[in-house]
Amino acid sequence: MVMKVMSADHSVAHGVRLARAEVIPAFPITPQTLIVELLSEFINDGELDADFMPVESEHSAMSAAIGASAGGVRAFTATSSQGLALMHEMLYAAPHNRLPIVMANVNRSLGAASGIWLEYNDSMPERESGWLQVYIEDNQEALDMIIQAYRIGEDGGVMLPVMVCLDGFVLSHTVEKVDLPDQEIVDRFLPKFSPLDVLDSEAPKTFNAITPPDYAMEMRYRLERAIEDSKTVIGRVDSEYGEVTGRRYGGLLDTYRMEGAEIALMTLGTATSTAKVVADRLNEMGKKAGVIKLRFMRPFPGRELAEITKELKGLGVFDRSLSFNGFGPVFTETRNALNSAQFPITNHIAGLGGRDVTFEEVKSMFDIVERSARGESYRECNWHGLRGVMV
Amino acid sequence: MYEVRFHGRGGQGAVMAAQALAEAAVLEGYYAQAFPYFGAERRGAPVRAFARIDEDKISIKSQIYEPDMLVILDESLLDIEPVAEGLRSGGKVVINSTKTPEKVDLGVEVDCASVDATSIALETIKAPIVNTSILGAFAKIEDIIPLESILNAIMNRFGEKLGHQAGVMNSEAARLAYERTVVGRCRGTRKLVERMQWLPTWDELPPGTALPAKTIDGVDVGPGSAWQNFTGTWRTSSPRYLKEKCIRCLRCWFSCPEGCIDRLDDDYEKWDYRYCKGCGICADVCPVQAIEMIRGVHEW
Amino acid sequence: MSDAQMKTIKDMPREDYFVRGHGACPGCGVAVAVKNIARIIGSDATVYVPASCLIVFSSLYPTAAFKWPFLYTAFENTGAVISGIKAAYRRRGKETTVIGMAGDGGTFDIGLQALSGAADRNEDVIYVCLDNEAYMNTGIQRSGATPFGAWTTTSPVGKKIQGKREFKKDLGAIVAAHGVPYMATLSIAHFNDFLKKVQRAKEVKGFRFLHILTPCVPGWRSEAAKSVAISRLAVETGMWTLYEIDHGEEKLTYKPKMMVPVKEYLQMQGRFRHMSEEDIQKLQAWICEKWKHHYYEEIPVPPCELEKGRKDLITDEDPLHGV
Repeated sequence: MVMKVMSADHSVAHGVRLARAEVIPAFPITPQTLIVELLSEFINDGELDADFMPVESEHSAMSAAIGASAGGVRAFTATSSQGLALMHEMLYAAPHNRLPIVMANVNRSLGAASGIWLEYNDSMPERESGWLQVYIEDNQEALDMIIQAYRIGEDGGVMLPVMVCLDGFVLSHTVEKVDLPDQEIVDRFLPKFSPLDVLDSEAPKTFNAITPPDYAMEMRYRLERAIEDSKTVIGRVDSEYGEVTGRRYGGLLDTYRMEGAEIALMTLGTATSTAKVVADRLNEMGKKAGVIKLRFMRPFPGRELAEITKELKGLGVFDRSLSFNGFGPVFTETRNALNSAQFPITNHIAGLGGRDVTFEEVKSMFDIVERSARGESYRECNWHGLRGVMV
Repeated sequence: MYEVRFHGRGGQGAVMAAQALAEAAVLEGYYAQAFPYFGAERRGAPVRAFARIDEDKISIKSQIYEPDMLVILDESLLDIEPVAEGLRSGGKVVINSTKTPEKVDLGVEVDCASVDATSIALETIKAPIVNTSILGAFAKIEDIIPLESILNAIMNRFGEKLGHQAGVMNSEAARLAYERTVVGRCRGTRKLVERMQWLPTWDELPPGTALPAKTIDGVDVGPGSAWQNFTGTWRTSSPRYLKEKCIRCLRCWFSCPEGCIDRLDDDYEKWDYRYCKGCGICADVCPVQAIEMIRGVHEW
Repeated sequence: MSDAQMKTIKDMPREDYFVRGHGACPGCGVAVAVKNIARIIGSDATVYVPASCLIVFSSLYPTAAFKWPFLYTAFENTGAVISGIKAAYRRRGKETTVIGMAGDGGTFDIGLQALSGAADRNEDVIYVCLDNEAYMNTGIQRSGATPFGAWTTTSPVGKKIQGKREFKKDLGAIVAAHGVPYMATLSIAHFNDFLKKVQRAKEVKGFRFLHILTPCVPGWRSEAAKSVAISRLAVETGMWTLYEIDHGEEKLTYKPKMMVPVKEYLQMQGRFRHMSEEDIQKLQAWICEKWKHHYYEEIPVPPCELEKGRKDLITDEDPLHGV
């Protein structure tokens, strides 16, 4: 094991190297570019035996990854924001064809009022596509989850693509200490890719023929079940990874100070770290406040959430994006999963377009949750850090 | 509610026929709708279209499973599809056929109007597009919509889309068909064709989209399995091979889009009529007239 | 038989990898091209087909007309997907020929970027453009490949504007500008030339581009029996030129003895029926320029000096012609 100080982008690249990805079609986009730059260096220096394919767009990156994965080899690509949106069409081809591609998406705001800064409105819409989605809190988790993503996605009962989402700049360009596991450990943990179906002229198969209504419904349900069934694999892989590296992340979600908690804030990505600090402070003040770290947006841990929130009196849900006129996506899914909950659930929008999510903002989220738990009137959807008064 | 199901082949105009019928019904003061089943196949492949007519606004948007009337633009479909499936008791049928109703075997015995719509279409519009002639026959057997409104609807729809002259020719086709239609009872001795289909439950489906070449429930799937699709039923004329003239140049073999010309060991040819769509390229490219196209479905 | 020995279609293998029972329209030029490419390439291949008529008439779950391994995903990504498939075969140490078969819309227009990317990277694949000069799968809409004057549903014959107003995009020049190892234009009527070019494409390493004119019966409003005859006339009139560029060396593989007036070509197709004399002259002048460019032959314009009433169009070196 080697310890290094590196950015999360570089941590992802090391994860890909250790996972021995074989075909890497990619296209540059800020703040993802550091990943593919370092991967190119690994390949040109002979540290990674892979084909780097400098494609002419993200659409082609995903297309080539699909071709390579259908060809039976481990494929990786990375993107961000507009690049992910350009891939949108192709994302849908991977799950139904059961191609366990791994992609890092470095979250960045999408669309007009444009910028290069952090927001989840690029990856959240893609939760409809059939990809598994995991959100990352720190640089070590970035590396570990790339390796785990292949192990989960390539599991015989799963065979699904995995999107590893990490916060643009806040993680991608922040350097932290990262432990690099030994190659032998990773090799033992992650065996050679054994695809479900392969394009092979010696055993021809027809992939993705035009599918008439007679079959499409059953195919959709098959995929729906596979995504649900991946939950147990995610938990198992987390345990096994913990056994060989000493690092466990909790699988679908992680909790902090949730034992005996009366109020909680559910977060994802780097906001979780700040929320933990705020929870510490609140507990010092005698308040029973916990944090739920949502890791996987797909599969969405609905039942698991219902279990851990049973004793709560109030829950806040942080969102770093929103569906205009329809709340933040994490909130929508959470409230949907907890539709029989007896406590108030509030939505907390913050950090849009890369605005920093501060200690005070997170504190104000907890404050609202606390008031709602006391039975005071509350607003369902609250914007934090907004100049002017919400109306 | 009065429901009509049209059975035709891509290119015969079944969809336009359904639309013209709906328009005629609207001209008569009814509510009506018409819609196609959008398959993914090309010209010549079996297609279906639907029309509903009612005195009140029609809400239902699903396909028609129990029609009051069948309109069959191509008689050969009886051999490959369960055309009469679901026809209501007391239902009727209009069929493009050179036979009298008594000689048509639909699989159920019902009132039947038969007309040689293909000949009428060739006479009037100079193309085997039978959708307007068949509507003339419809007016003969069914009094829900008088011929006058059908002719007006044809003028409107075809005139708008293809020009006034096309409207005139097409309504002439319908009028002529009305005159020539023979009404009687068709026979019901034939057993309806059974579709061989593999319809797995979700958990019987392979997990991905990929299929290897194999047989499931009597159906071949995966690479090369299209052989089960006998496209020879599409043809309206058939190539006849005159071996004594053949110089074995293989132009026909190369040029056949179906690949349905077997090239024998000695480079003479043999046609696999199960697939021949009757395009006539083989006859056209033959430098020595060793292939001739004969109208109708034949095998030699 | 080794590939190099195939000189005429008599030498072609009989085995089909694109089987009977596909759902193409009677007289489909694409089906003729695909079926023969498959025969010439043989068993060791994998094909990607983007959105096109070909995907619709060759594959409908659970059946398929290709015996080859087959993949479809989208419209605009042929160049990229075949790059990925080839990379996988390379990693697995297999020599399999990877082929993409796209239409003109999927190549000239929406797929041009992915085509350029794959050509630029010199991916070791064969890219086939089946050019029927419009978006036929969606019901005959104008593409960059549609010729001047042609009717399509999005270049309709109106009171003010009749047919397409732009000339066909010179895709060959675009591909050639990438400096690819091999590219060729093919016609389904020039059998032995077709055979030679597909074989050459199979042999060469790196990016190979085959551009085939494939008449479309409904889209061109032509007779089903005439698809091959129309292809031949396309070459004789200069609407289509047969050439190849093999590692930079450009070669005309067939030259008509004399230019046939384009009118004869137009007359066979309903899509040109409305064309005014003025538009026909414009198209003729465009052909004359193209002719000069390819054959280095001056032809007075406008109009080109045309010899009428010539019967024998069979002038190439194909030993099967003129029998």
